[in-house]
Amino acid sequence: MALTRRNWLKATGTGLLAAPVALQGFEDYFQPAAGGAPAGMTRIVTACGICSPSCGIQAWVQDGRVRFLEGLPGDVSGDGHLCGKGAAGAMQLYDPDRLKYPMKRTNPRKGLDEDPGWVRISWTEALDEIAFRMKQTVDNYGAEALLFVTLPSPDLWARFMNAMGVVNRIDHRDECYQTDTVIQKYTTGGKTWCNDFENSKYILLFGWDILAKAKLAYATGIVKARSNGAKVVHFSPNYTATSRFANEWFTIKPGTDLAVALAMIQVIISENLYNKEFVDNYTNFGKYETEIRAHFAQYTPEWAEQISGVKAADIRRIAREFAANGPAIAPAHKKSLCANYMNSSQLVHAISILNILAGTIDRPGGRYFPRMHSIPGVDAIYPPPPYPPKKGRRVDGRDKLPLVNEVDQGMFSTLADGMLNKYPGMIKFSFWNAYTILGFPNPPRMVEALKTVDFTVVMDFLPTDTVTLADIVLPSAMYLEGNDAVARDYIAKYPQTVARKAVSAPIFEAKSIAYVAIELGKRLCPDYFKTPDGSWINPNTLLDEKVKRAGLGENFADFAAKGLVEKPQPFTPRTTFVSVAGADGKCQIYVPQFPAKGADPLPKWIPKRDQPNDIYPYYYMTFIPAIHRRNTTENNSILHEIMPTNHAIINPAMAKKHGIAEGQKVLVRSRAGQIELPAHLSETVPPDVVMVAHGFGHVSRAMSLAGGAGARDGDLIPDASIDDFVAAGNYAGASCIMDAVCSIEPL
Amino acid sequence: MAAYGWLIDEKRCIECRACESACKMWNQVETGVGVRRRQVRVYTTGVFPQVRQQALTGACYHCENAWCMKVCPVKAIWRRDEDGVVLIDQEKCVGCQQCAMFCPYGAPQFNLRTRKMDKCTMCFDRLEQGLDPACVTLCPTGALRYGPWEEVQKQGAETTANFAPPRQTRPKVRFIQEGFPTGK
Repeated sequence: MALTRRNWLKATGTGLLAAPVALQGFEDYFQPAAGGAPAGMTRIVTACGICSPSCGIQAWVQDGRVRFLEGLPGDVSGDGHLCGKGAAGAMQLYDPDRLKYPMKRTNPRKGLDEDPGWVRISWTEALDEIAFRMKQTVDNYGAEALLFVTLPSPDLWARFMNAMGVVNRIDHRDECYQTDTVIQKYTTGGKTWCNDFENSKYILLFGWDILAKAKLAYATGIVKARSNGAKVVHFSPNYTATSRFANEWFTIKPGTDLAVALAMIQVIISENLYNKEFVDNYTNFGKYETEIRAHFAQYTPEWAEQISGVKAADIRRIAREFAANGPAIAPAHKKSLCANYMNSSQLVHAISILNILAGTIDRPGGRYFPRMHSIPGVDAIYPPPPYPPKKGRRVDGRDKLPLVNEVDQGMFSTLADGMLNKYPGMIKFSFWNAYTILGFPNPPRMVEALKTVDFTVVMDFLPTDTVTLADIVLPSAMYLEGNDAVARDYIAKYPQTVARKAVSAPIFEAKSIAYVAIELGKRLCPDYFKTPDGSWINPNTLLDEKVKRAGLGENFADFAAKGLVEKPQPFTPRTTFVSVAGADGKCQIYVPQFPAKGADPLPKWIPKRDQPNDIYPYYYMTFIPAIHRRNTTENNSILHEIMPTNHAIINPAMAKKHGIAEGQKVLVRSRAGQIELPAHLSETVPPDVVMVAHGFGHVSRAMSLAGGAGARDGDLIPDASIDDFVAAGNYAGASCIMDAVCSIEPL
Repeated sequence: MAAYGWLIDEKRCIECRACESACKMWNQVETGVGVRRRQVRVYTTGVFPQVRQQALTGACYHCENAWCMKVCPVKAIWRRDEDGVVLIDQEKCVGCQQCAMFCPYGAPQFNLRTRKMDKCTMCFDRLEQGLDPACVTLCPTGALRYGPWEEVQKQGAETTANFAPPRQTRPKVRFIQEGFPTGK
């Protein structure tokens, strides 16, 4: 019998085990507990919604109230666990500051320091007014005057936007992984953000800091990889929790990872160390070998040392190890790498090439394509009438970046400039769903942009700063209040889907965005919200049908009773990759389609945008702490208690130079703005870097914990115009959300 | 008397604070009153770039020789026979904070609202039901485990960096010392 923690405990406790048993190594010992139910509590299987891997949850409910959230055994996303954010998620459900009913503004003056003069209204009044304003806007100015700051999900909401011909829709994904989406489409063939860390033997991390963000889908993989004997190498200017899990950590000048990656490619190619079997059979290396060898020859480790500060000998050695000691992986994806600097487009291409040369695309220990249940969307179940063509200008200027246009995401960084400079007054109506201005570079400029909009609707579950700028606010249900089928897509070697079941009915008058889609749809585009028999689409019936067609259960109730449905299957590596014309199904190192779309076929070195200078001598870096998710959890009472505010984290050497003491208030300035916050001295930060945690500096006092706590990191990040991006060769639209330099002085 | 102890593998801690959140949730510990029964503390040593960090989850160790019990003037601190868990009787506690002054681990904490002391109960109500303490249940990497003390004390080391010398109080905790295997 395998010695699990549970039966070990029982056996010892009841004296059945005569001789003491030594721990048989971690894996034998640490099995998930057998999951006994706490007395008097009901178990509900659901899924987290704080960050995107949506770890499975078993919620324990007592007298109708969530008492405890723990990981769902068998769930591959959270590995059967939750992080500190997920475990505390119920505090968001019961947050006394939550928006409770629709409200209407009575104070016409807008600003973060203006009291909106909220008046409670009914849902009917709110929806009628929103529909009226939208119709008026489209009739007078066309659909291009509508701005939707929202994810295109759920599918009913996407249908509503499509039916209305919405052109200007943006969401945070351009800050997270748009760059990767664009590059993977042309280099490996798709959504290769699944990382098989646990089977990898060499993990090369460029700025990647997801472990320190405690994103379990990846963090536990790194821990397992180390247990399995993998080597982890971390390039990061500062020392983080991820560095602690690395065998080797190299500090690197901010924004120069690209130079090191290019030099590693040079070493691997010039010394012919790449995985021949994979490269010969599944890539276009042979076809473009001359161009590839000629291009990378210039990027020697000695050259990269000059730029990055990483020693040439180390670059050469790591490149050789990476090639020789596979399976090897270099993950990309997410804020900590794909979007930080003006050269992130090139960096992601270079990293993709490293993975291709390692020969681990869709191979064990590499980046692989997710194997998921196919859950049909509303358009498959109730085919809509043809959607109107999307006509009009993109206010963020996205149409100037053809590669970004193709993947239909948006541009957070250029939105304010578009609204204020490029197309002033074009946007007349905006709808914000669960986004706050804190997510944007230079939030004050976004506030100015929002003031130019005639009518703004904000749907959220908390009274955020953006809510303060709304004309109508709608109270949103949160993730523990809704039903859904959530496919595992970060860890997805075989299909697995978790039933997200509401653990609570929406509090007060909170509603889901699907409800808003249907209700606005009835008012504005009714033909799109009817079933074939002429009745209105019912989201519950729709979910039942999705579950049935995906093979998850007879209906949602049946699926929810199972909680988790999976289809284990052997991992069959792909043999065809990029599907765009001319790729012949191969991985593309050299991307011949790029030149026609304003991009270089091979990644070339470009520096980051802002460089230290006389006025702003220091690099400015931001980070997402483990205990908060972007700018959404700072009002969670448990998480607030653990990390209530942020600091300017600086090296003691910098502090000494400027006469700054621990805890002293400092003024940090950049060309975009300035913030005041207390200093924290730490040897984890290089002497030429000021670091500030993201997510703080909410102004809205209606959030009793987060309001007024800390400073807005984004105020120091310059936003950009689309022309800046085009001129810099930022063809995949990497949003430069950390590309800034600053000065610091004590107050 | 069965007793339980903590087994900590600090190299596996990713600082996610699931243990802290779980403790708060299960025990319904009020926030904002100065009580965090379990806390992950991060210690930095060295000078950049020769810098190292240690993340150490800590709570009450239900010491075999619990000084908090000895110094409590009103005998509010007691030990359960069935599992060796040290508890504070909220009826008797007068909030004098004597226990906090003598505890080397910062376990007893002054609750600003109740004006009494508060600390980790090892989730004895879960132990009674055969469940793991809440913090252990949530820990995603196995950095924090627990088990019968007679087994746990055969593992690892008595102390680690940034942990008060255990000789006098005999805390029921052991620290796994071996690191990860060296990768190639």
